[in-house]
Amino acid sequence: MKRAPIQPVGASPLLDVDRLTVRFGGLVAVADLDLDVAEGSIVSLIGPNGAGKTTAFNTISGIYQPTSGTVRLRGRRLERSFTAGTFWAAMLVGLFTGLLFAAAAVDIDRLWLAVVKRGMITGEPFTLAGAAERLRGYFRAELALDQMAGKWRVVSADGSEVLAIRRDLGEARALRNSLQAAVTARRTGPGTVPDTTDLAGGVEAHSDSLKLPPIKEEVYDRLAAGKRRIRVRGWTGLFAGWLLGTAGAIAVWQRGRRSPHVVAQAGIARTFQNIRLFANMTVLENVLVGLDRTIPGGLPSMLFRTAANRRAEADARRRARESLEFVGLSGEANRIAGQLPYGDQRRLEIARALATGSRLLLLDEPAAGMNPTETEELARLVERIRGRGVTVLLIEHHMNVVMRISDRVAVLDHGVKIAEGTPAEVKRDERVIAAYLGDEG
Amino acid sequence: MSPAGSRSIEETADAPGEGRLATFLREKWDLVALGVLALAPLCLPALGGALGGQVTTLFIYCILALGLNVMVGYTGLVHLGIAAFFGIGAYLMAILTVPMYPFQIGWLPAAIVSVLLTAGVGLALGAPTLRLRGDYLAIVTLGFGEVVKVTLRNLEQITGGMKGLNPVPPPGAGVKLWGVDLGLAFAIDPRWFYYLSLLALTGVVIAMRRLEHSRLGRAWVAVREDELAASSMGISATRVKLSAFAMSSAVAGLAGCLYAASLSTTADPNAYDFNRSIMVLCAVILGGLGSIPGTLLGVAILVGFDTVLAPWADSWIQQMDINPTGSSLLSFSGWRLAIFGLALVLVMRFRPEGLVPSRRMAAELHEAHP
Repeated sequence: MKRAPIQPVGASPLLDVDRLTVRFGGLVAVADLDLDVAEGSIVSLIGPNGAGKTTAFNTISGIYQPTSGTVRLRGRRLERSFTAGTFWAAMLVGLFTGLLFAAAAVDIDRLWLAVVKRGMITGEPFTLAGAAERLRGYFRAELALDQMAGKWRVVSADGSEVLAIRRDLGEARALRNSLQAAVTARRTGPGTVPDTTDLAGGVEAHSDSLKLPPIKEEVYDRLAAGKRRIRVRGWTGLFAGWLLGTAGAIAVWQRGRRSPHVVAQAGIARTFQNIRLFANMTVLENVLVGLDRTIPGGLPSMLFRTAANRRAEADARRRARESLEFVGLSGEANRIAGQLPYGDQRRLEIARALATGSRLLLLDEPAAGMNPTETEELARLVERIRGRGVTVLLIEHHMNVVMRISDRVAVLDHGVKIAEGTPAEVKRDERVIAAYLGDEG
Repeated sequence: MSPAGSRSIEETADAPGEGRLATFLREKWDLVALGVLALAPLCLPALGGALGGQVTTLFIYCILALGLNVMVGYTGLVHLGIAAFFGIGAYLMAILTVPMYPFQIGWLPAAIVSVLLTAGVGLALGAPTLRLRGDYLAIVTLGFGEVVKVTLRNLEQITGGMKGLNPVPPPGAGVKLWGVDLGLAFAIDPRWFYYLSLLALTGVVIAMRRLEHSRLGRAWVAVREDELAASSMGISATRVKLSAFAMSSAVAGLAGCLYAASLSTTADPNAYDFNRSIMVLCAVILGGLGSIPGTLLGVAILVGFDTVLAPWADSWIQQMDINPTGSSLLSFSGWRLAIFGLALVLVMRFRPEGLVPSRRMAAELHEAHP
């Protein structure tokens, strides 16, 4: 078996855990853990039960969030940074939610009536310019023409007030313009409080051509105030929705910035202490899931089975079989994963993790529950994995395995690293002996 | 129809003593069924009448159920509001084609736009509910279904309230092909819709099979099986779930488009209520979660029972003059739901994995394949 060269001291490590602390409420599970894993080495993490080994693993692989401290892979933090893409995505979500809220706030139903339906009643062809004009009219709360039972009605923009009814379209139009002028005059008149004399002037200016129907003052007031109301509602809705959408999008991003898939995509794969296979999928499919990120192409390529997609799928299958062969499961490819014997399930989990192409493999008690022969096989498998150039960080209770295959061993007790060094050094360490056998002093 | 890659997995070892015909039927059931359904209207004149319309509805429900299957079957997300997306698809189709609105872009462009927009609505529902699973997601989707129904009813200016939007023109209205006005042909002969729906169903089945055996399909199942393990393999559970939401909604939207066009109206919003969601969900569970043939069979049994068998049995009872007083106890429809419920209970008791369980669900499949 070929041993990959261990990096000389001083070179930057593959994995660099720096003052990692994980606290659950009052309990400190991992305290100020420093751990370097050199490329191409096998490092073991040992310690009595409840020492925080699995917690450290789960934090490195993104399942738990550290209370403080950092984890770096090749000097890079395992975290998604806030990029321009994140910003624009959040803005887009905000815009979408904003528009949704605004649509509700300005009453999309009446907006539709004003913009679309009223464009279809006059018999003139529906034009975009006309629709835009009516849209503007709706947000200025201008009077509009509507039709009911063959008669033309002058109505408020939202259709809630009917001001006049005429048989003739031309007459109704002229009336609408005069009434609109009256309303505008009321709105734009001097002073914030609408003035009756102001209104009278406005009405007189237009009433020489047309007699305005008797309309109550308060109706004019309402119509004049309509513009302000609709705009306030629209902008409020847009802003509230934008705020909610952007905040929501950023919250989702924040929650997922260090999630397991980010860590896995960065190049750390893992197995679990209690096996977590996709129990109802076949063995081959389990490994394929690990490979799926390497299959390029989006939805169309999958739907139309493009040549590139077929090639990539076939290639992935080939590599999956290779990976199965490596762990010695090539005969079981089409079995349902959950039906494999226990030891095979452990090896399948390793094959699946290897298939991701990660440079660092975290193995959480891979030999748990195995008999001595299987444990021996597993130890050889771990060495072969290292032979492929994959670095291994291992949690294990079988001390003979740990001491034989590890390049370095770190010992945790109550969340604190009490010793680190070569297996021989650790074996001699008095604190380690005390931690395992109990303190006699 | 079956892509080459999937065949090796789907094939099961020949049971000893099984006839060649049975083997052929089991392996090529899809092509046989498609052939029979494609030839049926030419041989059965009844399909040119009311029966043709009923079978068309059956196809449309098959599409809807396949859409639901993406979420409930593959991804394992409980969805009780699929009818809402069915309704959204139908209403979008109507808005884009009815003569009272200025769009009138024709069936095919309208179908494309509605499917995309329905997928967008699915994303909008999925994004804020990503962390919910099981019961909680079920309640959210149930609520969403009701909200959509009530919204469709209350947006009277847009959707016509309880009247619905009509007339939705048939596909190809105004298009002449070899001297035949397609729209007129669709309006007169239900067999046109029969073939259109069959075509759409075939397309959806092919698409689903391909997805099932592609990266995305595996990711859906992986997230269902173990979300944490899947994300530790570099799969973004967020994206995978959102894609399931979108795909499910898009397919349901397509079913809605066909439905509105085949009825030439959206019908009233109550046509898209909770009962319909549950009916489709029952069909998927009855047939076998995550199984395409199972889903199709489930719909054929449940919806077929409801839309084809029940009316037929009613008219038979009437013809035989068994029930001259019109008592509801002696009509088949009166007992419809009781029979339906009993059948479901029996199936769930004796075959909980569904009638045609998917390979991934069927734990009894032991044989290793070469």
